[in-house]
Amino acid sequence: MKLITAILKPFKLDEVKNALQAHGVTGMTVSEASGFGRQGGHTEVYRGAEYTVDLIPKVRLEVLVDDAEAESVIAVIIKAASTGSIGDGKVWSTPVDQVVRVRTGERGPDAI
Amino acid sequence: MGTRERRVRSNESDRELSRLFSAAHEKLHSNATREFAGVALAAVGGFGRGELTPGSDLDILLLHTDQYSEKELLSFVNTLLYPIWDGTTSNASVPRNVDHAVRTPSQTRDVAKLDLKVAMGLLDIRFICGDSDLVSKVGENALHDWRKESRNRLVELRKMLAERHERAGELAYLLEPDLKEARGGLRDITALRAIARSAAIEIPLERISNAESSLSNIREALHIQSGRSRDRLLFQEQDKVASTLGYKDADELMGAVAQSAREIDYLMQSTWHRLDHRSSKGKDGWLSRRAKSLSVGRGISVANQELVVDSDAIRIDDPVLGLRAAAKAAQLGIHLSMESCVHLAEGLRDGIGAMPEPWPREAREDLVSLIGAGSAMIHVWEALDQEGIISSWLPEWSAVRSLPQRNFLHRHTVDRHMVETAVHAASLTRNVHRPDLLLVAALFHDIGKGEREDHSQRGARLIEPLARRIGFSEPDVSTLRILVEQHLLLAATATRRDLNDPATIISVLARIPDLQTLELLHTLSIADGEATGSAAWSNWKATLVADLVARTRAAMTGTTVAPQPELTHEQRAFAEVASLRVEVIVRESDYAIEIIAPDRPGLLSIVAGVLNLARLDVRSARTKSHGPSAVMTWIVSLDPHAPAPTAEKIHGEIQSALAGGGDLARRIEERAKTYAQLPSIPVPPPVVQSVMGASSECTVIEVRSHDQPGLLFRIGDAVTRCRVDIRSAIVTTLGAEAIDTLYITEISAGALSEKRAQEVVERLKGALL
Repeated sequence: MKLITAILKPFKLDEVKNALQAHGVTGMTVSEASGFGRQGGHTEVYRGAEYTVDLIPKVRLEVLVDDAEAESVIAVIIKAASTGSIGDGKVWSTPVDQVVRVRTGERGPDAI
Repeated sequence: MGTRERRVRSNESDRELSRLFSAAHEKLHSNATREFAGVALAAVGGFGRGELTPGSDLDILLLHTDQYSEKELLSFVNTLLYPIWDGTTSNASVPRNVDHAVRTPSQTRDVAKLDLKVAMGLLDIRFICGDSDLVSKVGENALHDWRKESRNRLVELRKMLAERHERAGELAYLLEPDLKEARGGLRDITALRAIARSAAIEIPLERISNAESSLSNIREALHIQSGRSRDRLLFQEQDKVASTLGYKDADELMGAVAQSAREIDYLMQSTWHRLDHRSSKGKDGWLSRRAKSLSVGRGISVANQELVVDSDAIRIDDPVLGLRAAAKAAQLGIHLSMESCVHLAEGLRDGIGAMPEPWPREAREDLVSLIGAGSAMIHVWEALDQEGIISSWLPEWSAVRSLPQRNFLHRHTVDRHMVETAVHAASLTRNVHRPDLLLVAALFHDIGKGEREDHSQRGARLIEPLARRIGFSEPDVSTLRILVEQHLLLAATATRRDLNDPATIISVLARIPDLQTLELLHTLSIADGEATGSAAWSNWKATLVADLVARTRAAMTGTTVAPQPELTHEQRAFAEVASLRVEVIVRESDYAIEIIAPDRPGLLSIVAGVLNLARLDVRSARTKSHGPSAVMTWIVSLDPHAPAPTAEKIHGEIQSALAGGGDLARRIEERAKTYAQLPSIPVPPPVVQSVMGASSECTVIEVRSHDQPGLLFRIGDAVTRCRVDIRSAIVTTLGAEAIDTLYITEISAGALSEKRAQEVVERLKGALL
């Protein structure tokens, strides 16, 4: 099993969510996040006063999937999240040892 | 379901307990002819009041005179209670949860001294069977001790309530509240009864009899529906309880819960307030009532740390009286007395003091002062709302009163959420140039809720006639409509649209006409978000919204700076002659004073000082230098106890002050001291800033501050000390907030350098803090 984590531009969340649902993903966790990558924050100029926005608001989306599904889910996220400009975010996957559904006690892929 | 059923249940339990008591007594005394001497069974607490729901405990006290051995008593209790614990009683409706104690009268008295809950439970003691003299004696002692020790016991009670409220939260606003434990719940009614029985204060308990019966019925239905004795009204039970009691749906049920809880809590808060502010110097010490009162406006005074409406003022048809009292109470941070609210409401019902349409200016300003008082507003608003006065002034309010929002983002009912938003907005008034519009929009932004239609759209339709009725001008009505209609726009756009896409900014620009509206909408979004709670407003969202606002602002043209006033042909002609001229025009509720005076540094502060000492409160002013003179138009309202201003008097005072007489600064300082004795509320600090590039010949300085006596005198004085000249001034008071725009130049003419402007800003800040 894999945990796919995606850092996205906030306004792309709905699109990514819809694409994942269409792809058959049934559950996900979404949280507010802030940070910077190569984009490195940016500088705003307003009426001569310059101020730096160093942490940029993003959303963090997490999905648990079966190993076989991981690549296609990553592809779906990338397709939906892309604007082609800097700051589009990142997607990564991490191996997961065990998953247990709290209500039923089911384990492994059955719990996804 | 209802009081009757609860009483029947209690009577049945009495009968069953009497039967078991006789059986136990017979077993103890094989000789059945012995009278029930020296032992008795009594009910305490809720059972003592004769009210039992299916989930209630049977709170009983077995009293004895110490004539039995421990073994005998144990056997007595076992015979009495085992059938109940085992559920083998002849009547199935007798509750199986028994909370019992076995004590002698003196043990009971000792325990009550140590345990507040026992002491309160004994106030409701009721004889069931056995030796009735024992029970009467314990009851008499309990009441005697409660009254004698009431001073300490009420302090203890208050502490206990505060801890419980902290733990259980507020019944009126929780989504799954505890009907008994939460603030405004059934336990608070028991506490109010106990306070009333201490005789420390009279409490109009009849005010909450409907609330008590509603909550008791809901609790009873909950016990029956859930088959348990839990008092928490969970989501899963709400629909069933609503249908059992004939409510339309769970929303209506929760609305009734909220309404009842607010009535109870309001009575509780007023009771503590009245207890706190009894005069300590009176003949009867703590119990004494009257204290000296201090007049703080037309028909209103402060007495016992409460704002009271003078009894003769209530009989005069003065539509602004209620709002004046409310605004003053909120601005002083004190309660509006319950009696005054009752009298105002009675007057309104009899047609005395009905608000004309549109509202007079004073009423509108008082509403803004009331809303702008921050958290001090909450209790005053609640008091007015409890008496139906808010709905009389603002009928639209009735539809959202105690309206629940079953949405995980929200903590409060719709009406309380709007009040909370206004409280947050009051701390943000320095962010905007029109605090009045911000506060009114905050108080009504969700007024459209409660129907299926989009609440922003519906709210926009409702706010227009409402704002017109309050007396706002057409441009202001239009701004308020946009604020209500678009109050979710910024947050929704910032989190869901691409801010780098020019189309996003264009779509926002299409809905927000100017910088002033953008500034208002941004501040309203913050206040709304903060009032909703952390689930709805985080730094994350605030950053996104601020980014959107900065991008939109950059795409806008125009300014928020008030333009310099224009002079009439006549004013210019008089201004060419450098002589002092004063004209006073009496208007409906205020005075317009036109002053043309030879211009000189410090003129603004001198005239402001003279008006202040004549006890004239500056509502707005426009001044402009022309030729050798300055032309000033002042709109002022008169202190109710001051003589009416005349042109001759003001002329004389100004002339004397210009000649260096009168010692203005000292006299103003003294006058400010008398105000300083009154209580006050925390307000946001003043904002002073120079707006570079707003005028080619002058430097523009904006001052936004809470209004205070002598404010303009101090502003004028600070500017004069910087050796600069005020060419124009636009002074506006909106409720309790002042916005002053000064166009200043060097005395030798020409705008100030950035450094000099900063020097003036710092000097002004120093003078205002």
